[in-house]
Amino acid sequence: MSNVISASRLTLAYDGGRKEIIKNATFQIKRGEFVFITGPSGSGKSTLLKSLYGALIPKNGTLMVGGLNLNDISKRKLQELRSHMGIIFQDYKLINEWTVEKNVVLPLMIAGYSTDIQQTQAQKLLRHVKLTEHANRYPLELSGGEQQRVGVARALSKNPFLILADEPTGNLDEYSSNVIWDLMENANSQLSATVVVVTHRIPNIFNTPYRHLIIENRGIYEVR
Amino acid sequence: MKSARDHLMFVLPLMVILIGIEFFIVFDRVTQNYEEKLKSSYSILVVARKKIDLPTFKKIDDRIVDAETMKRKDIARIIAKEMRNASGNEILKSLPYFYSIHLNSFLRQDEIDGIEKKLMKYPGINRVETFGDSHNSKYNLFVFLKTLFWSFVLLMSLVSIFLIIKQMEVWHMAHRERMQTMEIFGASMMLRSGVLFRMGIVDALTATMLSSGIFAILKYYWVPNSGIELFMQKRDLIFEPADIAILLGISMTIVIVAVINVAMISREIRE
Repeated sequence: MSNVISASRLTLAYDGGRKEIIKNATFQIKRGEFVFITGPSGSGKSTLLKSLYGALIPKNGTLMVGGLNLNDISKRKLQELRSHMGIIFQDYKLINEWTVEKNVVLPLMIAGYSTDIQQTQAQKLLRHVKLTEHANRYPLELSGGEQQRVGVARALSKNPFLILADEPTGNLDEYSSNVIWDLMENANSQLSATVVVVTHRIPNIFNTPYRHLIIENRGIYEVR
Repeated sequence: MKSARDHLMFVLPLMVILIGIEFFIVFDRVTQNYEEKLKSSYSILVVARKKIDLPTFKKIDDRIVDAETMKRKDIARIIAKEMRNASGNEILKSLPYFYSIHLNSFLRQDEIDGIEKKLMKYPGINRVETFGDSHNSKYNLFVFLKTLFWSFVLLMSLVSIFLIIKQMEVWHMAHRERMQTMEIFGASMMLRSGVLFRMGIVDALTATMLSSGIFAILKYYWVPNSGIELFMQKRDLIFEPADIAILLGISMTIVIVAVINVAMISREIRE
């Protein structure tokens, strides 16, 4: 199977390269894999995820995502790449002035799909995340768990080849967390999307031995 | 309510700028004629012992554009009438040459003094009369009023630009998160700032219509009854349909600059 993500001797840093967070990390993630990346707070999990969607340029080494080299990717190519990704954030990053339905179809809107297609897809996704009755409500009228389900629906709206999730259940109770994990497992198994989740702890719900990478002492290591 | 307030916060300073610019256009148009008349009616009188042609005057100072020779025969005839025992020809022989010098622009008094000095240095020129005092006072008052008006317009524009910058900060705060989220999902700058562009264009159209409306009212209702002769005579110059295009162009430019600025400062910085 081909690699969706490939990092070779990857070094990530802030402050103009002075503060190194990840150093000389080499790893690959294959198409269709579900991978957990864990590590203690401040170890660089979110930094790694930011680099995977191109918000952080590697200091050294190479980072390929979806066959594109993120070290020197153009703005246009990066926009194109991101439009085929689904990104889920701990703080949801929903647009509070927009309805739930409009939030869900944001990637379709960006890609220029017709209103009809957007509406059909929104209904399907909202049914999938069990939020049909909230379609015309605004994010701030929903609970945290519901908002994150909107975030997941948005991430799935364009059948992404890669889903990146940054502590997706960090702010949620156990019930809501389990709903989110179910949705992400479904995306992986039914849509064949590659899923990369960074989290400080793998939830107990996962009995299946998914692949697990750990960030420690600025390196990235295989756990299983 | 909030939306109306947001619009007003941008429309009002935009209107102040547009009204200031339109006032300037109208003032400039109305006074242009007067200014031209002042310039063309001004001349320097030169009295010389010998004939001097225009190229020579131009050599003395290149701002001289015309040298009108005053008819000596007529002057001699008038003098001869007064002096019964002198013939016209004798008077003509002893009479100097008179020139009325025109300049390419209306100059400051110190510049006119400079030309006077140059003329006086030229051999054969006896006397130069610049009539500076009476003419200058009129023109200086005119220039003073114009400068005063300009300064007022400039000051109002600066205050308005400051208000527009404040409104841009409000836009930035209100739209930053949305724009950044859209950027993460691959939206182009045009798409991210579409809402602001639409809002800005509506504001630009509103400000242009309101400003034009104010001047249309001035032209058709206020000026005819104002009693101000200069304005009543030049009513047609007060507001022209083409001014709407100028105002719209200016307001659109301000909107485009403001929105692009907000979009640029709201964009994600790739570290």
